[in-house]
Amino acid sequence: MTAKKKTKEKRIGLFVCHCGVNIASVVDVEKVAQVLKDYPGVSFSTNYVYMCSDPGQQMIIDTIKEKHLDGIIVAACSPTLHEKTFQEAARLAGLNPYQIEIANIREQDSWVHTDKAKATKKAIKIVKSHVAKALQNENLEPIKVDVNKRALIIGGGISGLQAALDIADHGYEVILVEKNPSIGGKMIQLSETFPTLDCSQCILTPKMVEVSRHPRIKLLTCHEVDSVSGFVGNFKVRIRKKPRYVDETLCNLCGECEKVCPQIVPDEFNMGLSFRKAIYMPFPQAIPGTYTLDAEHCLGLNPVRCGKCKDVCEKKAVDYDMKEKIVEENVGAIVVATGYDLYTMQALGEYGGEKYDDVVNGLEFERILSASGPTGGSIRRPSDGKIPKSIVFVQCSGSRDTEKHNPYCSKICCMYTAKHAMMYRHRVPDGQAIVFYIDVRTGGKAFDEFYQRTVEEEKVLYIRGKVSKIFKEGDKLIVWGADTLTGKKVEVEADMVVLAMAMVKADGVMDLLKKLKISTDIHGFLAEAHPKLRPVESLYAGFYLAGCAHGPKDIPETVAQASAAAAKVGNLFAQKELAHEPTVVPVNDELCSGCGICITMCPYGARSLDPDRHVAAVNEILCEGCGACAAACPSGAAQQRNQTDDQIFSMLRAMLRE
Amino acid sequence: MKLHYYPGCTLKEKTTALDVSTREAMKRLDIELVEPEGWTCCGAEYPLTEEKLVGLAAPIRVLRQVREEGGDVVVTTCSFCYAVLKRANKAIQEDPLKHKRINAYLRDDIKIDNLTKEKTTGFADYNGEVKVMHLLEYLRDRVGYPRIQSRLKRDLKGLAIAPYYGCRLLRPHEEMGLDEPDNPRFFEEFLEAVGCKAVDYPFKQECCGSYLSVSLPAAATEASYRVLRSARLNGATAVAVTCPLCFYNMDHRQNAIKEAFLDFPGLPVVFFTQILAWALGVDKRLLGLGEHSVPADGLFVDHPMAEVRS
Repeated sequence: MTAKKKTKEKRIGLFVCHCGVNIASVVDVEKVAQVLKDYPGVSFSTNYVYMCSDPGQQMIIDTIKEKHLDGIIVAACSPTLHEKTFQEAARLAGLNPYQIEIANIREQDSWVHTDKAKATKKAIKIVKSHVAKALQNENLEPIKVDVNKRALIIGGGISGLQAALDIADHGYEVILVEKNPSIGGKMIQLSETFPTLDCSQCILTPKMVEVSRHPRIKLLTCHEVDSVSGFVGNFKVRIRKKPRYVDETLCNLCGECEKVCPQIVPDEFNMGLSFRKAIYMPFPQAIPGTYTLDAEHCLGLNPVRCGKCKDVCEKKAVDYDMKEKIVEENVGAIVVATGYDLYTMQALGEYGGEKYDDVVNGLEFERILSASGPTGGSIRRPSDGKIPKSIVFVQCSGSRDTEKHNPYCSKICCMYTAKHAMMYRHRVPDGQAIVFYIDVRTGGKAFDEFYQRTVEEEKVLYIRGKVSKIFKEGDKLIVWGADTLTGKKVEVEADMVVLAMAMVKADGVMDLLKKLKISTDIHGFLAEAHPKLRPVESLYAGFYLAGCAHGPKDIPETVAQASAAAAKVGNLFAQKELAHEPTVVPVNDELCSGCGICITMCPYGARSLDPDRHVAAVNEILCEGCGACAAACPSGAAQQRNQTDDQIFSMLRAMLRE
Repeated sequence: MKLHYYPGCTLKEKTTALDVSTREAMKRLDIELVEPEGWTCCGAEYPLTEEKLVGLAAPIRVLRQVREEGGDVVVTTCSFCYAVLKRANKAIQEDPLKHKRINAYLRDDIKIDNLTKEKTTGFADYNGEVKVMHLLEYLRDRVGYPRIQSRLKRDLKGLAIAPYYGCRLLRPHEEMGLDEPDNPRFFEEFLEAVGCKAVDYPFKQECCGSYLSVSLPAAATEASYRVLRSARLNGATAVAVTCPLCFYNMDHRQNAIKEAFLDFPGLPVVFFTQILAWALGVDKRLLGLGEHSVPADGLFVDHPMAEVRS
């Protein structure tokens, strides 16, 4: 009864926008204003050429004050564009911003119709429906919550490092979690970088050092995120510390332990092209600079069985009794920079990557090119150490294949293949480099010039077509392919083949993402909140994306995205407290039966079942007001604020009544 | 136990070796092969065309007959028959229009059939109930290699066999689904299970020339040559096949291959069932070796299995 009383008293003002000719050429705006003048509840009605302009807004502010309006309707463009503008105008006039209604007569009317009479009639109906809604709108206040100004960064590759440095330089604390023994990610494995051929390690290691020395960055290597709870500004993170079995504060890198270790294991840093010991340092510039004991390959962390490393360590840094433990941290924002992996060679059986040592992937070839690699930078093929006199490079291995592999373009392969071919020709001047390609995509600053140099100055032979099969005959690899420019079958002999394997989601990352509850695209790459306007944010508030976890990208783009994510975190942390839209969907305990349907509908994890009272509970900070639960709720207990079932039905009635 | 077995026409005519050795080997595994009554040609290549419906009638009639006789599995050895039966079966399962029209045709067919019989039989739609299996698949999934190994009577030491998959066993992958088409392994696994050395070579699933043998013999000669040459270079003492057409192209055509490619000295071609039968202790005279153009007798040297095994 009280609600009804209120609606009778309400004074609604209507402002119809021409939007230049955008609306006015199809909708008779004057007529709309005229017809609605005497509509029940409407106390004032006018039209104006640009409501969003300064004079337009001023008109709204003045009219609200003059006519003592307690609700207004702006009939204009979509609310995604100017709802905030008009809410602000209302606030300046002393009206609660949630008393503003936007009637969309542009995107949903004038832009899609041509018949002026019908479009005008439709505009009138749209406005009437909003009058019905506005009569029942309540004053709402944004939900306020504190922000914990510490950021968690998952992943210590170039994107994670850049984001960590930027956030820390903003003045906030950062916790950087990396599952491997050292930071550096994939970039530290690269040789030179296109298009300038500067050494990857030389440009990355200063950043690694900076991260390790930064007073506001807490570096946690050999750590993995176990679970995340809470919400934007207030996350609680459980981090699993995996034992390193070497005390990093004591280890002085003397290397005696490595000398005596009897266990020989393929070296991950060199992509298995060389060997390391079970106690090892991943690479000379590893950070933190300490040895790590690989428990999986160690003879059993047991002094009775081996214990050589422990015996020889003068600093007593080797400790077989280290145990896994859980560390808890509270943070306000999380940057996910979990990187990528290469598509497996097994998936492309016809290329023989699994069978033949001399068929390598792009990262393996990076190691072969690298001065710190297994051959010291001399290009030698893995099977017999001979210098290959011909190399075939196969682009799009597993990319751009809608039928069997990954439909997307891995984006960096065209450029790194050109770089590989160029460096090969520099180091083996009498060698022949052949590249099979579908298209050469060189979008990027100075990229195409680099590619042209590869073709013209370095005499790399580019063949447009795909490779169908690679097999070994005697000492040579035979590559079958097609030249789609001549339409002929091609058969070439090569000493070595480099496959530009597709970039795919990082191995095992789905388990982590499930714990974080953030969404991905169908390929397992992180989904951004908006593909154009919010490219570094997750839909899930408080999560930010950086680097190849979001999709294939090169180093400059990764660094830019990491800095953008850091800036976004900075925006969040710059606020005293967070304001959250109050148009959420609370639960009416009296009506809720605890069926749980709304919980399964919620894409944001905002709803849960209260175990004591057996009704749905809502975390209003997580609720994004999408309304999925309200639509699904069978009892009407879930009602969105200012979008209640009553309001929706009265809008329908207003619209359908002639 | 009884098992429905669809030999297909070639096995009754040109390549009885495949049929005979299959029967002998299955006897040794205590499996009685039953041919569906009144079976006809599977249709060879014709049912595999997309558009023509009529080709499906022959294979579906065979499959329906297997069902009527109470069978839920039918086994074939010929790769072509296998592909035809399996794909026809899938078409009936998945395409409602094909299901309806082929069953309508078969219903009429049965009515006519009934005129010549004393007892009339009812008709129930065939819905793809019978599982079509290749013998290699059946041995792997239903018999199991351990059971075969427990019955081995001969040691196949010295036999380095190059398995030849050809096209029909594996492709199209979405429908056949036996193994990964670009790098299959199940034929090798079979050969290793019966005690041979399986030779890995890059041409194991390249084309033998197939029906080009009829229209463009020189192309088939070259295609088969490349397969045989690759097998030889990788150390094979023989090539094993599952398909009568592959056998024809690589064995019967081998004189033409040798004439065209002087570097090729020859290589025996055998059916996988001959190897299986031999390993299980079947007499050499029952392997159908007389049918081979390239003598294969020399491969089958009798090394009895050491008793310790049992």
